[in-house]
Amino acid sequence: MSAVTVDQLNDGGRQSAEDQARAAELKRLERRDGWRRRIPILPALIYTILVTQIPFLFTLFYSLTDWRIDTPDPRQFIWFENYGSLSGDTFFLDSAWVSVQMTVMAVLGSLIVGTGLAILLDRKFFGQGFVRTLLITPFLVMPVVAGLMWKLQMFNSTFGIIGWVMNQLGLEPVEFATRFPLASVVVVLIWQWSPFMMLIVLAGLQGQDQSVLEAARVDGATSWGTFRQITLPQLRPFLELGTLLGAIYLIQVYDHIEVIVGGQPGARNLPFYIAGRSIGGGNRFGLSSAYSIVVVLASIIIANIGLRVLSNLLEDDS
Amino acid sequence: MAEVQYKDASRIYPGTDEPAVNKLNIDIPDGELLVLVGPSGSGKSTALRMLAGLETVNQGAVYIGGTDVTLKPPQDRDIAMVFQNYALYPSMTVGENMGFALKQAKVPKDERAKRVQEAARILDLEEYLDRKPKNLSGGQRQRVAMGRAIVRQPQVFLMDEPLSNLDAKLRVQTRTELSDLQARLGVTTVYVTHDQVEAMTMGDRVAVLNFGVLQQVDAPKTLYSKPANKFVAGFIGSPAMNLFDAESIDGRPAIGGVAAPISDSVAGQLGRVDGAAIGVRPEHLKLASSGIQGEVTVIEELGSESFVHVAIQHMGERTTIVVRDEGETETTRGQNVHVDFDGPIHVFDADGERVD
Repeated sequence: MSAVTVDQLNDGGRQSAEDQARAAELKRLERRDGWRRRIPILPALIYTILVTQIPFLFTLFYSLTDWRIDTPDPRQFIWFENYGSLSGDTFFLDSAWVSVQMTVMAVLGSLIVGTGLAILLDRKFFGQGFVRTLLITPFLVMPVVAGLMWKLQMFNSTFGIIGWVMNQLGLEPVEFATRFPLASVVVVLIWQWSPFMMLIVLAGLQGQDQSVLEAARVDGATSWGTFRQITLPQLRPFLELGTLLGAIYLIQVYDHIEVIVGGQPGARNLPFYIAGRSIGGGNRFGLSSAYSIVVVLASIIIANIGLRVLSNLLEDDS
Repeated sequence: MAEVQYKDASRIYPGTDEPAVNKLNIDIPDGELLVLVGPSGSGKSTALRMLAGLETVNQGAVYIGGTDVTLKPPQDRDIAMVFQNYALYPSMTVGENMGFALKQAKVPKDERAKRVQEAARILDLEEYLDRKPKNLSGGQRQRVAMGRAIVRQPQVFLMDEPLSNLDAKLRVQTRTELSDLQARLGVTTVYVTHDQVEAMTMGDRVAVLNFGVLQQVDAPKTLYSKPANKFVAGFIGSPAMNLFDAESIDGRPAIGGVAAPISDSVAGQLGRVDGAAIGVRPEHLKLASSGIQGEVTVIEELGSESFVHVAIQHMGERTTIVVRDEGETETTRGQNVHVDFDGPIHVFDADGERVD
């Protein structure tokens, strides 16, 4: 009896040892599999860290110093003094307000225009591919070129097309870029970014189930009703994506402002102001670094708020 | 509730010459469940969509309740449609899906809620009213699609293969539930399917289409016992009717060297046997001691009955004829047997039309 028990115990011990070896082998295989997946993306990851995260850390460090390139003094560590001077800098606050207005108007404007264009394109007609390509072109124009084109060929009161049209209508031409600097920049941004939004929304529209739209028609919904109640909710993730990407890019706009209005107070956004404070002649690298950090944080916050607001707008319509 | 009429209704898709639906004429009385059946490409779905207003009627007209609706948009036809993939509104809950049409018609909120509740009760969907379609099973989605239709109390139900996305067992169960529901509500229904068993079991009448042309519209029983032409004869019935080009023996149509016992009047009407066809359903044949000679190749044993495939020589070629035998048959594969006629025989002339 007892012999059997011992035997069984021994057997059990051997089994558990085997189980352990098996488990260890399984773990080893899993780990190897994990690395096999990780290794291919490592170069990209290292590259990203090198070109974005390390400069960011440097900026963070500079923002805690009083570094100016035009003074021979070694840069001194002054902790958060640069950040403290922010609230008193009315130019900074003005620029921040311009940034907010510019980004919100440009994102919303291009989203609306882009959605409109996408709806018009989401049907079969002769020359569809050609028209689509034409509509995308503004997005492919270099920002500086776009700015110059609008400044000289559209807004200019003497040679500009808008001025000419106003003249034909018997109105006095206006120098738009000078009179309405912010609006002028926003118009150009909307012109350039609508195609981007159009492409994103078009992808959403074409992913729609046609029979759902037919069902809505049979159920008695009008075209507008179908769009508002069926299509728009389905477009939500696409509109969110467009808003997020658009906001990230548009908050950093510099070229258009430089070319079209050349830094008039009414259209001077944060990137423009910060650049002016450092490489643009101010040479105050420590201070500018601090401002940049604030802008990065603010951008993340604003983009998040924008996304939330839009989501809530689309969430419930009853 | 209303009667439905197709009058010479045709649909020609842009860029094609062949009509998808060719001069369709059907009168559907009030409260009837009419099934449109045919192989794929037969125009059955197109015919339904013409009635729904989702497809333009190029020639002819469609009437609902005596009114010509040919030019009316879908929303003005007072119809409800159930789609093959259900086409539920993904962003709305089950309750909102079902109440959508009423909301569009500006029905007051409490009236709307009452009718949705009522429909949900009939379809056993009450506990799912707040769920989104993506959180439902296939069968539940199908019921929501049905619910969306019955909430409206429309003049006509249109159903486009509503059961084809369900698994076999659920399909059979839903089939009977749907028939029962339609009979209780008494709403005229046009039902499209490619499944002839579904057509036969559900339809008050069945319309068979092929290449956009109506072949026959009749009660299932008539369709089965008196198919109007060769196509209907071959399409309706499972297993299919045995259809052969007739060979002539003493001026009478025959299969495998054995003349079919047809009446003199049928033979007289048929005249020339050349080009004619002869059809016999498996249950109207029997294994006997004399008749068409052949060899058993396959036995499909179903328990209550069995189908015996017999290879025979017909017009100098080896073909198969299917015979129904009793369940738990003692016939074996490879056995030499004789097949004899034991019931009605269908004769079709050179144009494929039935000769009676």
